Amino acid sequence: MNPAAIQAELAQLVNTLAAIGAPLQVLMPAVAVVLVALVAVPAWRPLLRAGIGVSAALLLAGELVLVWFHWRLYDLSVVVSPDTGAVTGRVAVPLWVESEKLYVWALALALMAVFIHRHRDELLPGVAVILAVLMVGAALWGKPFTEPLPSFLSQYLGYLQAMASGDPERMFGAYQGMESARQFYYNTVYMWVHPPALFFAYATFAISFVATLVMVRERHSAFETTAYRWARLGYLPLTAGMLLGFPWAIIAWQGESWWWSGKVNMSIMMWLLYTALLHARLYLRRRGMWKWVAALSILAFLVLLLTYLATYIVPGAHSYL
Amino acid sequence: MNESVRHKNWDYALTVITVALLGSLGVQSFIGTLYVWWATDTVPGFELIGYSRFVWWMNVIAAPQVVALVVVMGLCVPKRLFDRTLLVAVSGAMLLAGLGAWAFTGSLATGLAVYLALAALIQAAVVVLTVAGARGPSYLTEGRLVKTGSGLLHQGFIGFAFVVVALQRSAFMLPAFWIATALTLVGTLLAFYADRFAFRKRVRVEADRSFAEE
Repeated sequence: MNPAAIQAELAQLVNTLAAIGAPLQVLMPAVAVVLVALVAVPAWRPLLRAGIGVSAALLLAGELVLVWFHWRLYDLSVVVSPDTGAVTGRVAVPLWVESEKLYVWALALALMAVFIHRHRDELLPGVAVILAVLMVGAALWGKPFTEPLPSFLSQYLGYLQAMASGDPERMFGAYQGMESARQFYYNTVYMWVHPPALFFAYATFAISFVATLVMVRERHSAFETTAYRWARLGYLPLTAGMLLGFPWAIIAWQGESWWWSGKVNMSIMMWLLYTALLHARLYLRRRGMWKWVAALSILAFLVLLLTYLATYIVPGAHSYL
Repeated sequence: MNESVRHKNWDYALTVITVALLGSLGVQSFIGTLYVWWATDTVPGFELIGYSRFVWWMNVIAAPQVVALVVVMGLCVPKRLFDRTLLVAVSGAMLLAGLGAWAFTGSLATGLAVYLALAALIQAAVVVLTVAGARGPSYLTEGRLVKTGSGLLHQGFIGFAFVVVALQRSAFMLPAFWIATALTLVGTLLAFYADRFAFRKRVRVEADRSFAEE
């Protein structure tokens, strides 16, 4: 292992990503502004579908760049034991962590928006506004191209520096940290299944939320059916994603009081509310029940947003603070 | 009031109680999250000492709600199989068995585990009868595949609750967890998308209606 050479190659990779991705990162807020303009000016509404198509294409192109970046990162991020000098593995950083979370959510929503068929004209304006917010957030807050994976790169560069130092204690400490992050976080099947399942669900719930708002405005059951179809599409990956987190959490957070930590709390609350929503709508035929169903749907989506933000605000297990 | 209307009201009451309990646990989760957020910055030493006390309080507050939820879930299971009088008797017997196990062992978890095991057995019977097309089990939904899906996903949730309550430190934890997860996901898939899998499609399309007058 040559830590200095790896460090130089990493720096070059990050610079290349910034050179390719920076224009995309600038285009994203610009396209978001155009989307909002297409919603705001009724005469431009017919172009909204094309606007969403452009957004999806832009995000997809960026995702391909990120796939390439992660592939190269996997090649470079070798972990070597200081004891034996043997390679214990490479770090497979998933495509939906740290700076890329909002980006993946925006991409999932954009791709789904392209395929909205039922009540498309009514849904697209609301979906476009949410997509615009996500794109602006992904570009200005996430910065996946210009400031990629800050935690991982910081830890891995620290590990390289420790390995170059020749100090056995420092080398062993850095190796232990890096290897446990590799084994129990980045390379776990869980990390490759749980977050994308949830982001898929988040995107469907965003469309369900918009359909609920249209139902409240139009006061017609057809929009409730649309909202339900999108909610049920998201409920399955939401449930799967959360269930799959359970055995992982027992192992990875052994000894920690993770069960009541902020993010877990909020996630359970979100799941409970969507479960309650799917139960409540069984009685939609009852007079006035639609108001409860609408209230639950709106509340559940607001809690979804809080659940996402909880990771950055509330301390505890599953927190980025 | 005829039996069908009474059955529907009973179903409705159980659904309302389920939704209320889910909402109540949700509110507790939310308040707990807000408290941790506030306390971390304002209560000295919260993360070292206060957090374990917070977890203890959350468990104490959640326990009766979770027990109530398990009891309601237990009531939902035999409701599909028995008429109302027998249902009350079966549910009472299940509760007594759980309470007895709790009193005998002094462990609430064991009491819940006994209750859940009985609920799982009855639910298994419900699923078998539903798959066989027997007329006994009653559901809110229509179509054998949808009913089977609903039965399986409830079986999965009972199984998951059993894993959390009784098997967290057992060698059977993972196999039981995977079985519960598979039942939940296959059940959800069937309950939501049965019409896509059915050979003989018998979809009742409900007429769209305006809510403007409601």
